[in-house]
Amino acid sequence: MRKIAFLILALFVVVNLVAETLVIKGSNTILPIAQRWVEAFKRYYPDLVVTLEGAGSSTGIKALFNNTADIANASRFLKPSEIEQMHEQGRYFVPIVIGYDGIAVIVNKSLPIDSIDRETLKKIYTGKVSTWNQIDPSLPKKRIAVYSRNTASGTFETWESKVLEGERMAPWVQMLESTQAEIEAIKRNPYAIGYVGFGYVTDEVKVLKVEGVAPEIGTILSGEYPISRPLFVFFDLSRFENTWPESGVVARYIRFIVSPEGQKLVKEAGYVPAYSISE
Amino acid sequence: MKKVLNLLFSNIVVLVSTIAIITLIAIFAMLIIESLPALRTIGWGFLTSGAWYPTYDDPEFGMLYMLLDSLILVGLTSLVVFPVSLGIALYSTEYATRAEREMVRSITELISGVPSVVVGMIGVLLIGPLMLKMGAWTPFNLLNATLSLTILTLPYAVSLIVESLQGVDPILREGVLALGSSKIKAAAMIIRGAKHEILYSFILIVNRILGETMVVLMVAGGAAMLPTSLFDPIRPLTAAIASEMGEVELGSLHYSALFLAGVVLLIISAGITMVAEYVIRRGKRWLTG
Repeated sequence: MRKIAFLILALFVVVNLVAETLVIKGSNTILPIAQRWVEAFKRYYPDLVVTLEGAGSSTGIKALFNNTADIANASRFLKPSEIEQMHEQGRYFVPIVIGYDGIAVIVNKSLPIDSIDRETLKKIYTGKVSTWNQIDPSLPKKRIAVYSRNTASGTFETWESKVLEGERMAPWVQMLESTQAEIEAIKRNPYAIGYVGFGYVTDEVKVLKVEGVAPEIGTILSGEYPISRPLFVFFDLSRFENTWPESGVVARYIRFIVSPEGQKLVKEAGYVPAYSISE
Repeated sequence: MKKVLNLLFSNIVVLVSTIAIITLIAIFAMLIIESLPALRTIGWGFLTSGAWYPTYDDPEFGMLYMLLDSLILVGLTSLVVFPVSLGIALYSTEYATRAEREMVRSITELISGVPSVVVGMIGVLLIGPLMLKMGAWTPFNLLNATLSLTILTLPYAVSLIVESLQGVDPILREGVLALGSSKIKAAAMIIRGAKHEILYSFILIVNRILGETMVVLMVAGGAAMLPTSLFDPIRPLTAAIASEMGEVELGSLHYSALFLAGVVLLIISAGITMVAEYVIRRGKRWLTG
């Protein structure tokens, strides 16, 4: 009896040692994509143990430095200080652009406005204007109901960097818990404005042009649409003796995420894929 | 055998109540330990500033406005719930026929079983559009939160107060009536007789409103501002905790600040309870001389 127990225990230990692990950390923006990737990737490798954590781009990159993650998701490129630190340690974090995040500005369909610029958006969100007729006298003299995603969301991160440019939101900006809630609120409120990930827009609301450019796959990919940014995945090449890994779990994962199947999931999560999605 | 059983039973009871007490202390301890880093870094700033910008490069953790939002909401909702529930309870114990009393009882029981997320949906889908029709600039605001919370807590309040009123010895009522007083006078006597229990009920209700999270997350608006009208959106502390706890980085200052918000809520709730107990005890001393 004891022998059997011991055998089982030994087997368990061996399996655990052999089982491959993949630790992914980083941006909340990329989290919905990464969740889909991990789910699909595990169908090919059911024994793989994956840990996925979204705690911000900086945390992901820090985890690469500390060797506590294999993959870092980041909605921004490395900061100069991070590049210096990387050089000092003789390491190389490979950046892979995996898609683009475009944010659509939406209003109620009945509001007679079609286009807005970033300066005005900043004024609305920082509280320098509070009624619609302050933007354009032909608009109704009504208070703007300003909606935002809550600070936990990656969309908020992008908005903060691309529109607010570090300035603070006015206290009356209403934080909503989900993109659906935001669309629902704007659909019902004729004087509301909000922003959602490009992929979530429905025809129940009106999408505004920003600086004269409408958010479309083409304008986001070309960089014409101003409220968009590339999304990155980093891995540490120095862990593979500075040669491109062709086998192993990290190599397989990287290959998967840029494959048409992986890129389709980028689109599914509401973002613009960086590579072709047709087989 | 009987002795053994008795001993066993009393030990189990002691064990269970010890576990309950330890859990309570552990919750307190955990909240306080987790909130210490924030308290050390922010100092009293969290109570003197209303600027809550936890994710910016230069973060600020001022909770004053959200705290006041919580208190304003509690005050307004209590203002509606207390008199209405007292009225319903009084009617059902003093004036109602047996059938009516049964009806009130079953309706309140039925509604008090409704989950708060459903009440939140009522606020979103029914009260929200109504707010816009009334001219509000946003459907989710202080008034919507007050009405939704009233729907949520009124049945609970009614059943608590009915219970308090029923606890009064009927001899009191009969005596007052026999002395030739009016029915209103008798009802007033009943309320006086049950005033401590009613006060306790009110405290339970206040704590329920203060701690309610789902409804305020859905219908209060989520703007950490000081409301100047009933139509302004607000963001009570509980909503902020629920909204931000999910994605916050473990161990960060923001994480700790959310725990600090929890401690603040706990202190307020404990404070209200303690003040009420003090009032009741002093009241009793007056009564007994």
